[in-house]
Amino acid sequence: MTETMVRLEAVEKSYGAVHALAPTSLEIARGEFLTLLGPSGSGKTTILNLISGSVAATGGKIWIGGRDVTHLPSNRRELGMVFQNYALMPHMSVFENIGFPLRVRQYSEAEIRKKVHEVLEVIRLEGYANRKPKELSGGQQQRVAIARCLVYNPDLILMDEPLGALDKKLRDQLQLEIRRIHRTLGVTLLYVTHDQSEALVLSDRICLMNSGKVEQIGTPDELYFRPRTVFAADFLGDSNILDVSVVSNGKQAKLTTRSGFQIEGVQTSLSAPVAKVMIRPESLIVAEDGNKEPNTLTGLVEDITLAGGVVDIQVRLDNAETINVRRLTTRDFRATERGRPITLRVQPSDVVVLE
Amino acid sequence: MIAFIVPLAVFFAVFFVLPLALVVLASLFDPVLTGSNYQELFTSPLYLRVLRSTLEISGLSTVATLLIAYPVAYHLYKQPPRRRTLLMTLVLLPFWTSILVKSFAFTVLLGQDGIINNIARALFGQDTALKLLFNRPGVIIGMAHYLLPFMIFAILTSLLAQNRDLRRAAEVMGAGRLKIFRSITLPLSMPGIVAGCLICLVLSLGMFVTPALLGGPKDMMLANLVEMHVRQTLDWGLAAALTVLLIIMTGALSAIISHVRGGGLGSHG
Repeated sequence: MTETMVRLEAVEKSYGAVHALAPTSLEIARGEFLTLLGPSGSGKTTILNLISGSVAATGGKIWIGGRDVTHLPSNRRELGMVFQNYALMPHMSVFENIGFPLRVRQYSEAEIRKKVHEVLEVIRLEGYANRKPKELSGGQQQRVAIARCLVYNPDLILMDEPLGALDKKLRDQLQLEIRRIHRTLGVTLLYVTHDQSEALVLSDRICLMNSGKVEQIGTPDELYFRPRTVFAADFLGDSNILDVSVVSNGKQAKLTTRSGFQIEGVQTSLSAPVAKVMIRPESLIVAEDGNKEPNTLTGLVEDITLAGGVVDIQVRLDNAETINVRRLTTRDFRATERGRPITLRVQPSDVVVLE
Repeated sequence: MIAFIVPLAVFFAVFFVLPLALVVLASLFDPVLTGSNYQELFTSPLYLRVLRSTLEISGLSTVATLLIAYPVAYHLYKQPPRRRTLLMTLVLLPFWTSILVKSFAFTVLLGQDGIINNIARALFGQDTALKLLFNRPGVIIGMAHYLLPFMIFAILTSLLAQNRDLRRAAEVMGAGRLKIFRSITLPLSMPGIVAGCLICLVLSLGMFVTPALLGGPKDMMLANLVEMHVRQTLDWGLAAALTVLLIIMTGALSAIISHVRGGGLGSHG
């Protein structure tokens, strides 16, 4: 069993009658990359602030590195933090910025010089020690901010939307950089973002938040392939959510869509007569017309869009719901015209019954 | 556009540039061109002494103002916005009173039977007598009181301009309050301190009422000397030369201020 680095035990935060965070329990293992994902106001930043110590919990306990830090001030929690706006000291050089936490800890000049140059190498900014933050690009500033955390080896590094202020290209680059740093140094990371693709790329586990509560927690694969709720299915990736009626024998179910199609052999223990199910657009297979195998759906192509490497097809199922289908782009994708009939096949294992 | 500028330009030419030019001319012609006024200014022990005490009083009151203003500005910075606005109004309150009235009020507060001395006697015995009037301390107190709002606002502006996440970041990194203040808050408020000090120096160099009412004979400043020559000795040439000197000194400081404001010292992201 891996060692627990952070533990929240029924931690809650309310402002008067407003619950920013319902009682929440959460564990982060040493060396884990956990992402708090959710829309704004979902409570993810509240958890971060509670752990960093910038707001006090109204209930529950927080442990970091085996110590109960619930009532300790920020500066005694042994944390590192990366901010969206970098929060580098504008009057200090890169060297002084990174050396600051070491100076606070009263390291010797020689040790500071050695350690700062080591982390500058890790973030690949060796020649930049004497620059001022404003002389660096946004991406470089954020790398310096990350180095400032790495240099004193805190128990936990918090990252609050660290890529939020960067453009797409830089964001992708820095994502890979953060992943590389996490893998090579084995630091424990708590990452906050509202960007689901960022969460999928980076995390060991994702904690999906919704209106002050944990909606679902699990690996990126679990959240993507086995979302438990409509919110989870909708928030991560693209999804088709269909209303179905269910005939179940306790293990397997036969589903009937509103458009009257039947999907057999879906694994579920759910016994309610109606449910919502999710099918990812990429798990729908375009089949030959006239195919009468089980688990096929037919409809008319309503729209087709080239989105780069993939083509999105909107299909109206026999005058009822519309469903999105995603295929890899091929040169002849225009052969699928608007208004043409189309047949789709679905694997029962790709149909996820939601709570 | 020009239609709006012309009246203003004419107004300034007639009521500002022209009188200023006349003052400069008056300092140079007596009635023929001569440098004697300036020669007297820089050789006579009286003028050199007054010049020195002008600089001393200005410097001291600026330093005193800074020492009182910084904690006040810091306190304001720490308040929630609504409360800060209220407290800022209190800081501005003395502005609504004429400096003449305030100086007279100080003679009541600081005098031998004033509130301060009464309290001092109650605390330290009947023999206590603080000499706070008609001397250097009196002038400094009066001037610092006048200058405080300027300094407070200059410093407060530079405190409020600081990114609050910097303090949070430093705290998470383990820094205590004193360390955060010394290595982040204070250095980042330097532009405000410098600007505030320059403003206070400019304002205090030309002070007239405060040294006249609260100071003694040794606390005469340049402006008081100008007044004396204009109204008592009627030596307008000397008065003009003194005025030119004063204008050059404050002008130079103002130039530095606009340089500082323009980002020479204050630029940080």
